[in-house]
Amino acid sequence: CGFRPVYGPGGAAEGLNGRIALADPKTRDGFALAARLEDRLGPATAPLYRLDYIIETDSDPLAVTQEQETTRYDVIGRVRYRLTALDTGALADSGTVRSFTGYSATGSTLATLTARRDAYERLMVILADQIVARLVAGAAARTP
Amino acid sequence: QDAPATLIADRVAVEGEDRLIAEGSVEVLFREARIKATRVSYDRMTDRLSIEGPITVTNGPDTILLADSAELAPDLSEGIMRSARLVLRQQLQLAAAELHREQGRFSRLESTVASVCQVCPENPVPLWQIRAKRVIHDELERQLYFDHARLEVVGVPVFYLPRLRLPDPTLKRASGFLVPEVRVNNRLGTGIKLPYFVALGDRADLTVTPYLSSNRTRTLELRYRQAFRHGWIELNATGSRDDLREGELRSSLFAEGYFLLPRGFELDFGIESSSDPAYLLDYDYSDKDRLESTLEITRVRRGEIITADLVHFNTLRASESNATQPTIVTDLSYRRRFVPPALGGTADLAFTLHGHRRSSGNATDGLGRDVGRASVDLDWRRGWTGPAGLKLAAQGALAIDHYAIGDDDSADSSYTRAAPFAAVEMRWPLARAGRGGASHVLEPVAQLVWSDADDSTIPNDDSVLVAFDEGNLYSLSRFAGADRRETGLRANLGVTWTRYDPAGWSLGLTAGRVLRQDDPGQFASGSGLDGTRSDWLTALHLDLSDGLSVINRAVFDDGFDLTHGELRLDWQGQRVELASSLIWMAANAAEDRPEDASEWVADAAYQLRRNWTATADWRYDFVEENTARAGLGLEYRNECVTVGLSLSRRFTSSTSVTPTTDFGLTVALNGFGAGRDGRAYRRSCAR
Amino acid sequence: QGAEVAFGGLQHDSTLPVEVTADQLRVDQADGTAVFTGGVVIGQGTMRLSADRVLVNYAAETGDSTGRIERLHATGNVVLVNGAEAAESQEAVYSIDAGTVVMTGSVLLTQGQNALSGERLVVDLARGTGTMEGRVKTIFQSGGGE
Repeated sequence: CGFRPVYGPGGAAEGLNGRIALADPKTRDGFALAARLEDRLGPATAPLYRLDYIIETDSDPLAVTQEQETTRYDVIGRVRYRLTALDTGALADSGTVRSFTGYSATGSTLATLTARRDAYERLMVILADQIVARLVAGAAARTP
Repeated sequence: QDAPATLIADRVAVEGEDRLIAEGSVEVLFREARIKATRVSYDRMTDRLSIEGPITVTNGPDTILLADSAELAPDLSEGIMRSARLVLRQQLQLAAAELHREQGRFSRLESTVASVCQVCPENPVPLWQIRAKRVIHDELERQLYFDHARLEVVGVPVFYLPRLRLPDPTLKRASGFLVPEVRVNNRLGTGIKLPYFVALGDRADLTVTPYLSSNRTRTLELRYRQAFRHGWIELNATGSRDDLREGELRSSLFAEGYFLLPRGFELDFGIESSSDPAYLLDYDYSDKDRLESTLEITRVRRGEIITADLVHFNTLRASESNATQPTIVTDLSYRRRFVPPALGGTADLAFTLHGHRRSSGNATDGLGRDVGRASVDLDWRRGWTGPAGLKLAAQGALAIDHYAIGDDDSADSSYTRAAPFAAVEMRWPLARAGRGGASHVLEPVAQLVWSDADDSTIPNDDSVLVAFDEGNLYSLSRFAGADRRETGLRANLGVTWTRYDPAGWSLGLTAGRVLRQDDPGQFASGSGLDGTRSDWLTALHLDLSDGLSVINRAVFDDGFDLTHGELRLDWQGQRVELASSLIWMAANAAEDRPEDASEWVADAAYQLRRNWTATADWRYDFVEENTARAGLGLEYRNECVTVGLSLSRRFTSSTSVTPTTDFGLTVALNGFGAGRDGRAYRRSCAR
Repeated sequence: QGAEVAFGGLQHDSTLPVEVTADQLRVDQADGTAVFTGGVVIGQGTMRLSADRVLVNYAAETGDSTGRIERLHATGNVVLVNGAEAAESQEAVYSIDAGTVVMTGSVLLTQGQNALSGERLVVDLARGTGTMEGRVKTIFQSGGGE
């Protein structure tokens, strides 16, 4: 059905393995995103590309009860990324990925605080995975 | 030595040493000033240009002077212009019989009419205009000083002020009154907010806003902001005496700040406090039901993150009390990622110190429990590319937690737990070029995880709330905190299919499930992760290129019974902006959610026509079948006025919270001060 | 509309004798003209007119030339200097009887710190006035009289 392994011999993304140097993270979210990207793309042993990213997050109260108690929050995230070739500086790929995660606020203050921090980390995992999927698709589109 | 002036004309007659007469589309250029006229004569003895109109003088992009005739110094510093019109930043027009230029800085206009409104042949009377005996425009301070000013709305005098000072349209920052707001509230009566902005130098400012309402409330709102070389602070303080709580000074303080510390550390702090639970809602300052004051110190570098957090909680919820809720939470963590020399792959080592404290000393069933915890988390992961493009990964982890527990007679005073983890992961990403340049990526994933974590005796404070989404489908432990670690043998299976269209839209579908060898009973039924077969997790991400994004996530069992469903829609269109979220959550006693919860929230803005924008927001509770909050807004904005109407009602009520209806009206004259720029909304005369 | 204040350099008595110096001279008795070429300088009182080539027409009252110059037609790097004023152009015609100089072709008149450039300059030596035409550009030092 036309699907070919991306990391197989002659596969599109073979050139991406360990080839992408990530921009240094500056925030807690950035650290989580970079950690997941490094886990998925492999540490950059012989980098050919550089990946830059800008993270934007926002929080939304939901499920507000009749007693004005907020029982749920959504964490909305957006990352704009840019892949540039290290030697020429040419733009290889760029785009924006979006998603959200949620956490309940019905538990204690501590349980809610821990759930919120976990929600931000999960959001970074989702956004990182979406970026990897885009880079793989971009590589596939670029190879003849 | 003054800069030279350049004169260009069709004909220039030189008469004697001192007189030049230029005729025929004459232009005089001096620095940024440019004078256009039909006839100009320059007398070098008096260094004066006498000009015959129609004259157009432009002095930089923001100042245009029109006149019939004038005697001016070439550098526009001195002189008089007759039947002049001063136009500032293509917005504010001042027409006057005479305009005197003085000291290269002031324009004094005698018997002036000032307005920003568009004047058309068919309705020559502007929406509003200010008639004044004299107006002085100070170019340096960028202020307009009106003497004997009379505001006329559609030609009808509205009010008179002997003295009036307004900022000119290019001024970004100066002390003065901001836009007043009329507020009608069913509990605070009809009142007015009159903000006054005080610029304290370049780096600090104070906004004082009295809010007075028909003897129902006397409130003062203060906002102080200051920028430092390496940081900034903002304080918002309010104080009120009203008849909702007779004879009591109600107050609130919301502050935040950021400082860059030495050696790359950053400090963020936030303070949220209120004198009584209902105050913030009564005055619509905030609808938070738990106030958090935080102090965070962070340093993030490649491969290393150090964080120190101190959080103080103050719950306003009627259903809980600050005595039995953890009100002080501290976390200190040092985490490093490195490549271990021998093993290869990536190691992730983290040391954490955590503590939380409940002020109550009541030791029965954890009401007053205080917890201290020291943890070491070591995680190692290594990936290969196997045959036929298989992405393999092996993972090992060890979590060691030591607890010290106080004020809880049902728990030991200390615990230690070591939880080993091992996992293998296999991904097989496949790609296909579809018709018309579309590209498809299909990635099946299988992960086998084993772990042994005996936490049955450790009291669970931080891992009560469980979430299940693509963010933790493949994580070693799906609990948010450390009090619980996932145990047993399980397989995390999933597949993601994404289609990217060259036209710019993309569709992503994910499905996943967790299969367990046996059910250690760690997860409650409402979490979707209970049993030996978890609920199905599905997620859809649709991103259209014109700013529309739809994300849906659903967790349901084999019988398609929904455990958790959420749909988010964000649309940034040309004339529509919509953010809407629909959520459904099954009851989950373990999470203190006794009944199902379902809500629809939407926040919409629609530009009806160029000058009219309607906004609406609502929050509808499907289970209770009524609205928690609804709001409508209408804004009319043209080049010279912005009128804002807002009506909102909050229906929620509890022992401390009372339903409130709020109506707001703001009328602002555009064109004064850089902030109020209405040019984008200029009406056009041609019908 | 005469200016009371004499216009410094441009005011000039065109009845003064005219001397002409040049590298070559070619006289054409038939039409009473002479052509000076090569660094031609024409002096009259304090005024100097220099050019690459000057065609001189002599007044022909009684059939033969009486030696009095009636009209000068200078072409190529024409420079007219008189006191503090100087004017350059590609071509100039000095009609001595009419007392006018008409300079054409990227004319530049500099007068103390002021400079006028244009296509055509008509100078009335008797009245000491000059009129520049053709998208005239003037640069003058603002900032009060001397």
